[in-house]
Amino acid sequence: MNINKSNPLLLHPLNKWMKKKKWSWFPHQIETFHYVRTGSDVVVFAPTGAGKTLTGFINPIDDLIKLKKFKGLHTLYISPLKSLANDIVRNLEKPIKELDLNISFQVRTGDTTPYKKQKQKQKPPNILITTPESLALLNSYENAKEFFHNLKYIIIDEIHTFLDNKRADLLSLNIERLQTFSPNLQRIGLSATLKNKQDAKKWLCRKKPKIVSYENSVLPKIKILESKERIPWSGHMATYSINEIYKEIMKSKLTIIFVNTRAQAEYMFKNLWLINKKKLKIAVHHGSLEKNLRLKVENNLSKGLVDCVVATSSLELGLDYGDVEKIIQVGAPKGINRLLQRVGRSNHNLNTPSKAILVPTNRFEFIEAKAAIEEIKKNNLDKIDLKEGSFDVVAQHIFATACAGQFNINDLYKEIIKAYPYKKLKLNDFKQLINLIQDGGYVLKNYDQFKRIFQLRENKNIYKLVNKRETRKYRMNVGTIIENPMLKIKLGTKTLGNIEEVFIQNLSQGDSFIFAGRVLEFQSMKNNLVQVKRSKSLISKIPSYSGGRMPLSTNLANSVRALLAKSNMSDLYPEQITQWLKRQKYISKIPKKDEYLVEQFPRKKNFYTVIYTFAGWHANQTLGFLLLRGFKEFNYKPLGFVANDYAIVLWSLKEAKEIKTILNLGLLDKHLDNYLEETSIVKRLFRDNAIISCLIERRLPGMEKTGKQVLFSSDLIYTVLKKNEPDHILLKSSYEDAKKNMIDYDRLREILKKIDKKIILKKLTSISPLAVPIILEINRENLSKKETDEYILEDLENEILKEANVLSIN
Amino acid sequence: MFYQLINFGNEEFHAYPDKSLYWKRLNTLIVSDLHIGKSISYAKNKQFLPPYDTKEILKKIFVSLDKIKPSNLIIVGDLLHDVFSTLSLKDQDHRNLSQYMKNTDFIWIKGNHDENIQIEGFKNLTNFKIDKFLFTHIPIKTSLFQICGHYHPKVKISHRGKTIYKTSFVHNEKILILPSFGILTGGLDINSKEISDVLGKKNLSIYPVGQDKVYKL
Repeated sequence: MNINKSNPLLLHPLNKWMKKKKWSWFPHQIETFHYVRTGSDVVVFAPTGAGKTLTGFINPIDDLIKLKKFKGLHTLYISPLKSLANDIVRNLEKPIKELDLNISFQVRTGDTTPYKKQKQKQKPPNILITTPESLALLNSYENAKEFFHNLKYIIIDEIHTFLDNKRADLLSLNIERLQTFSPNLQRIGLSATLKNKQDAKKWLCRKKPKIVSYENSVLPKIKILESKERIPWSGHMATYSINEIYKEIMKSKLTIIFVNTRAQAEYMFKNLWLINKKKLKIAVHHGSLEKNLRLKVENNLSKGLVDCVVATSSLELGLDYGDVEKIIQVGAPKGINRLLQRVGRSNHNLNTPSKAILVPTNRFEFIEAKAAIEEIKKNNLDKIDLKEGSFDVVAQHIFATACAGQFNINDLYKEIIKAYPYKKLKLNDFKQLINLIQDGGYVLKNYDQFKRIFQLRENKNIYKLVNKRETRKYRMNVGTIIENPMLKIKLGTKTLGNIEEVFIQNLSQGDSFIFAGRVLEFQSMKNNLVQVKRSKSLISKIPSYSGGRMPLSTNLANSVRALLAKSNMSDLYPEQITQWLKRQKYISKIPKKDEYLVEQFPRKKNFYTVIYTFAGWHANQTLGFLLLRGFKEFNYKPLGFVANDYAIVLWSLKEAKEIKTILNLGLLDKHLDNYLEETSIVKRLFRDNAIISCLIERRLPGMEKTGKQVLFSSDLIYTVLKKNEPDHILLKSSYEDAKKNMIDYDRLREILKKIDKKIILKKLTSISPLAVPIILEINRENLSKKETDEYILEDLENEILKEANVLSIN
Repeated sequence: MFYQLINFGNEEFHAYPDKSLYWKRLNTLIVSDLHIGKSISYAKNKQFLPPYDTKEILKKIFVSLDKIKPSNLIIVGDLLHDVFSTLSLKDQDHRNLSQYMKNTDFIWIKGNHDENIQIEGFKNLTNFKIDKFLFTHIPIKTSLFQICGHYHPKVKISHRGKTIYKTSFVHNEKILILPSFGILTGGLDINSKEISDVLGKKNLSIYPVGQDKVYKL
């Protein structure tokens, strides 16, 4: 489009306000305005600070002013986070109030009071800001059609976070419902910069689809911490660099330290306090903390009342903390997009570059950090893989539809397959999902008298909810986010937050652990409350939250491999890393970009096989299990394996001589089903599926189950079902979920397809330098918790280094 | 099937991995908390559990009866989940049951779930006494040795940093509690208040039930 002509936004009601603020319109705002005005659905890609929120509202506000005193709901704004929704309201309030525009706007989330929600339904605002779950709930009300029939625009904020998960599936189905209610509805998506923009467009847009894109020309300034200390071979806690990190915090006005797991956050926070001689104000922020504690930190952050916040992905999205000067990323970046999102948290100003320092916690991570920086310079982003929609979400949607009134299954099916994730949904599967909601969908028709929905006699295509009470059950179970069983932690009468039940089970009275930045002593567990007191002990277990472990992205993995293959090591790395790699080159080999290095060596009576796949943790974990089976078949007597993002190591009593024969696509085809059956992966996913599809209930008033009990009974259901009805739709659904999300099936398949021609097999007499990190992980995992003392690790490390004959190099 | 020897009240019992207990001297098989028809009773609240539990429980019990051929079968309560449960019993099931009753005396002790339910041809008792042993669903005050059910005991086992739960047989000097013979039945931790109130916390003999074997802790 030629935007040089005249700027139509100069006549926009907001132009006056822009002028007053001495702001000018961005080209992407002009372009979006034009496209939407001429009837297009649009996805806008722009970096933070480029007025994205405003871009979404330009057309709705223009339209509302033209329509004059429009009554009812006009625009829906979907935000991925409740907190972000509140922030949007604050941003929208400013121009609307200052210009005295006659436009009403409100927020509706899980936190909105029932009274307010009721009022909103009676007298809807012009603009409603909400979340995907609240939208699903609104669509389940009988008057949903009236409520939405005049809806003109739906804006999806941060659409890149919605593309590859079950929340996206839920949202896509509900957008199609809105389109049915209001055929003229237009869609506007707001996204961070993506590699596969076309996919986002396909996901969202129906009418004259358009992409509007604005790239920031100012690149962020990212460097790796120049440490004088020895970078450890393995581990993830960055203890070595704590003093240097502290110095970096002192240099900047306000720093956010991002870490990868909640456990790392607690550990980093505690270690910073131990050396906090300057009495800097340091806070910690992660998803398990009690809401009030989190809000307090966020508030202090936006007012600049702290010097540093240690955070997990909980602080990644949205909110504008203008004064953040520096980002420190501790641990592997894992992906380009993620790193950029984090780095973008500093300097919310387009013309000054964001500043970030990466702190690798071990040697492989150093290479990964280096590779990430290279890719950001080339603007080579990660692809977000769109996935086919999950069945369980459709089941939930069918239930919701029934709550809103009787429905025709043919119409519903036609509507569902308009949603991008469900384009390929088979009619037969859909019918099974109808049955699932009706009575569990079992072949054995036992429940005729207890159906939840039933066919009308006069028209078999029309289904109706059996009674009103069921709507309440749907509403208690809405949504696709299933938390692990969590318990509340109480210090005296004060609630500190939630902790995983599995972690608490491993504690005995008197054990100490860190939470919310405090060293706490476990006292007792009663009625799902964990009672703790302050501990004087300095030694503590760290909460081992299972969340937050994400695999290395394929894109970044490829660049790590490319970087590793470069020969000019001494230009790329500090001396200690160069020495490490040179030694590897001398003893074994450094694989080329498309080669798969396999090393084999004897060690302590066993034989070790290390395979460097760079396939990410999920795929490697799967491959490890498959190889274990392959080794058994060849009678190598395998004893175990450990996988990380980069490699897998297996150890066996006999030497795996035929590794080249074993390692190919056949391995996957032959053993995958067995593997899925024997491990608990599908079983665990079945629990999520059973809850999301409303087969079992999350909770009901008066019969609060602990998460543990839900887990238990879903396991039993799984076992019975597997035995009696292996083709049941929920088993199929869980299996598909496993393939899509847990085992990185496609990625593994790609690698195995070509691996047999690219294997470089090295038979060694002892461990290679490259293998040291993963061999160390074996010992870490096999040590009991009480022994994981740093001293013991140190000792162990030295022993292994001696073996590898690399002690001399640093 | 391997069994685990349990010495209780100076008598030998065999604990089987199918969660039944066999008293060899009197050729008596003991099971508890079958909760037949749990799925159908949940279905009336629109929780659609797989409707295969009754079929599987009966199959399990028939397999056991075929193999052991006991003179008596004692069910220590909660044979049925609730009054709806009989709906899940097919005519064929009734016929099969009658067939087995020709050779085995069925002694059905009332549990809290099924005390008010009648099945034709079945008598149910509040409790049942043989020698110095009392069979009762929930233990009562008595000097007799008691064999009961009700609690669905499970034991928490922490080993090498991992924690698992296993359903178990458990007894102290005077009271033995059977695990639930059911398919969709959950469990209660042996350390829970409910069970410690009955058994105490000390000198417990615990027998976790594995896949093909009953263990001893």
